[in-house]
Amino acid sequence: MTTLPARPAAPTYDTPESDNYLTHDKGFLSWILTLDHKRIGVMYTASVLLSFLVGGIFALLVRTELLTPGRTFIDADTYNHFFTLHGAVMVFLVIIPSIPAALGNFVLPVMLGAKDVAFPRLNLFSYHLWIAGAVCTVVSLVMGSFDTGWTFYTPYSTTTTAGGVIPVIVGVFILGFSSIFTGMNFIVTIHKLRPPGMTWFRMPLFLWALYSTALIQVLATPVLAITLALVAVERIANIGIFNPAMGGDPVLYQHFFWFYSHPAVYIMIVPAMGIISEIIAVHSHRQIFGYRFIAFSSVAIAIFSFLVWGHHMFTSGQSSLMNTLFSAISFSVAIPSAVKVFNWICTLYKGSISLNTPMLYGLAFLILFTIGGLTGLHLATLNTDVHLHDTYFVVAHFHYVMMGSALIAMVGGLHHWWPKMTGRMYNEKLGMIACTLVFIGFNVTFFTQFMLGSHGMPRRYYDYQPEFQIYHVISTIGSYIMAGGFLLTAMYLVQSLVGGKRAPANPWGGATLEWECASPPPYYNFHEAPKVGDPYDFSNLHWDERGEGYVTVKPPAAKA
Amino acid sequence: MMSMLTMLTLAQAADGPTPPTFWMPIGASAHASNVDSMMWWINLIMWAFLVLNTVLTVYFVWKYRHKVGTKFRTDGPDHNGPLELAWTVGPLLICIVLFIFGFKGYLDVRTPPKESYDINVTAYKWGWQFKYPNGAQSDDLVIPAGKPVRLVMRANDVLHSCYIPAFRVKQDLVPGRYTYLWFQSDFPTGMDQPTDGHHLFCTEYCGTGHSNMNRRVYVLPQEQFDAWTTKQANWLDEIPEEELYWKAGPKLYARCVQCHSLDGTKGIGPSWKGIWARVSGGEGSNGAFAGGSTYSGLIGAGKQYATAEDYIRASIYNPGEHLVQGYGNVMPTFKGQINDKGIDALIGMMKKLDEFDPKTGAWLKTPPAAAPTASAN
Repeated sequence: MTTLPARPAAPTYDTPESDNYLTHDKGFLSWILTLDHKRIGVMYTASVLLSFLVGGIFALLVRTELLTPGRTFIDADTYNHFFTLHGAVMVFLVIIPSIPAALGNFVLPVMLGAKDVAFPRLNLFSYHLWIAGAVCTVVSLVMGSFDTGWTFYTPYSTTTTAGGVIPVIVGVFILGFSSIFTGMNFIVTIHKLRPPGMTWFRMPLFLWALYSTALIQVLATPVLAITLALVAVERIANIGIFNPAMGGDPVLYQHFFWFYSHPAVYIMIVPAMGIISEIIAVHSHRQIFGYRFIAFSSVAIAIFSFLVWGHHMFTSGQSSLMNTLFSAISFSVAIPSAVKVFNWICTLYKGSISLNTPMLYGLAFLILFTIGGLTGLHLATLNTDVHLHDTYFVVAHFHYVMMGSALIAMVGGLHHWWPKMTGRMYNEKLGMIACTLVFIGFNVTFFTQFMLGSHGMPRRYYDYQPEFQIYHVISTIGSYIMAGGFLLTAMYLVQSLVGGKRAPANPWGGATLEWECASPPPYYNFHEAPKVGDPYDFSNLHWDERGEGYVTVKPPAAKA
Repeated sequence: MMSMLTMLTLAQAADGPTPPTFWMPIGASAHASNVDSMMWWINLIMWAFLVLNTVLTVYFVWKYRHKVGTKFRTDGPDHNGPLELAWTVGPLLICIVLFIFGFKGYLDVRTPPKESYDINVTAYKWGWQFKYPNGAQSDDLVIPAGKPVRLVMRANDVLHSCYIPAFRVKQDLVPGRYTYLWFQSDFPTGMDQPTDGHHLFCTEYCGTGHSNMNRRVYVLPQEQFDAWTTKQANWLDEIPEEELYWKAGPKLYARCVQCHSLDGTKGIGPSWKGIWARVSGGEGSNGAFAGGSTYSGLIGAGKQYATAEDYIRASIYNPGEHLVQGYGNVMPTFKGQINDKGIDALIGMMKKLDEFDPKTGAWLKTPPAAAPTASAN
């Protein structure tokens, strides 16, 4: 790179590149038809965040209705539509694409030192499919929406009079293909486009996580597509597959559905774990603890994820033998999850920890995921699950994992790579305040729901017994605090685009390849192929005051 | 701390239901104490790891905070074999123990004792019907204290789920198959005050009225329970004869509606439409039975059934004897479930079918002016 002494003479980051990926082409079409993975990643990010706003508004409406038993401001049918829309939007439009398609698309090729993903056109196509899926969801809203729950359980979903069931099923079907294509693209990219010198075990852990995720996406999503197609066939053509009135079996539907939707939980959480590995290592500025254990635990989780779907069906009428087997296998997921958490905590030990916004999100993840993971024990244990099944305990558990872990990691990753994506720094102080608000609001909202559930409050309830009201009120207040935190986040992030300080190439002191190209990266990512080193070797990074960022200074004797 | 309290209260639980705690609601079944102690142990594990992880995280972040501009530490270990082994094997052992105890408790929940008292349960959008062996029916569940009770359950339309938090039991009701649930509660609740009894919830989403399928579960001492079921089974006796066919008829017909339509639709059994004409020598009386005989060949003075009423009663009490051509022998006997007065009500309804809604079986006329005067008599 630059000169050997501690102070490089003229840091390149002081003069922002006039030709970066944001300025390379201009106009609407240059975005919507771009083959550049970075632009596709940015468009995904914007779309996902917009959907998050929509899903969040539905959540707030649901929470507000639950302030009092009986009617607060909407009727039961509207409530049923709202909680269904909240779930469906958050799962299919937000969390599943959030990390792989949005952040992954931007970061993966840069981390590999590559120009783009293996199939750029397929990549654009999968974004267009996402748009098509989102449009179907909007069409469904216009045609009468749907009140089936995001799980589409039969025979309710094939007999309900809500008019928007078919459009949304078509939408989810299309979104599934968007997800499959992204997964295929990532698998091929990681196999084929790793630069010379980057062996599997010199890959950043985020790539291991994306790779495991991509495997699940490709293998599990087709099952969801087929299942939902069968639901549509039953609804349209009255062919009895799941409806017992026509000779079908509703429990079969649940098997099909969870065969996808349980692995889907890991499509959400495994890439989140990858982000946390990056955040914890980079902001602790030290070799990650137990690299191989973290890498292999991602793969282990991906494999186990296919074998545990039956734990969603402990009270469904599935045989006791099956329940026993699924309970035993479900516990196995706890082991690699625990291994990861302990390795992350040990990475903090004797590190050089910079406590900034992305790191704060990383630490929030550690605590929220610990709670989310450990309450999984209550639900994998058969006799406690019988009591807790389909209560708010389950609602709280999966919100700790899907929101407290997956989405918090997504927001942490957004802050981590925001300077790289936009070339701007955000207001660090506001970032920390917003993260704290989200963390407090989240726990107030959802820890209360553990207690609601263990006291017997069933989920998906419009009306409830008066003794549950105090918990519901606390939970709703928590959701408002959380909303405040996210609103603040939106404000300072938008503000940073206009008035934020210019970002240096390496604001945090990261050692993976994306920190070696400028912020924002040039159109082709790297002017010359970067040299691959240990992704977690921080010993050559030095703080440069003039650029307010880190620069790599190769020690004279370090050539191997 | 609260969990400790849970543990203490559990120890005193033998003489009555366990009172509500920080985590759990009132516990009033044999399963409840099992589930609660399991919850207590898992909570303990959860708190232990949560506190450990949080304390370590906060401590490390504070202790190893980095001052901008200083050199990074490089003395942190990057792996530790024994440690990795410990936190792989440790959680594994905990999981195995949890699995085994959860499994044992679950076997108890799923294995009803042989001598259990059976109650038939039907869930529909949006309510429950509980049927007792003596023919009594109710909308709320009433069970005898100190006796294992088994619910034999089915759903009429979509998935439902029967959840009684105080007993810590739950089971889905699936259309097209029977599922069961059993429990035993030793603690009578009474059923006179609105606060008496336990909650019963539907926990499988089923549409508009999902959250209003909550009912009460009353536990009565055996003698009271017997008295209640007897009274409940004999509700017919309190209806005056002249109001019988329109008051009791539709209520009883609710048990026939799944197989016998009123509007001529062919169901599992023949429709009631025109039935009285058929059996009393009018239109359709040459309709055939399996085996060749006809209505008019079987019913009438000097024949097997002297009157049409005789034939109807025989078909309800002994449905398999003569099968209408084209229908199988699937109807259960209602002997012991519908008494003579009930038969009278059904026959009365059959005679005046045009007064009833052909879809729902509801009586179409407003109660005649005679009704109030009749009760005034």
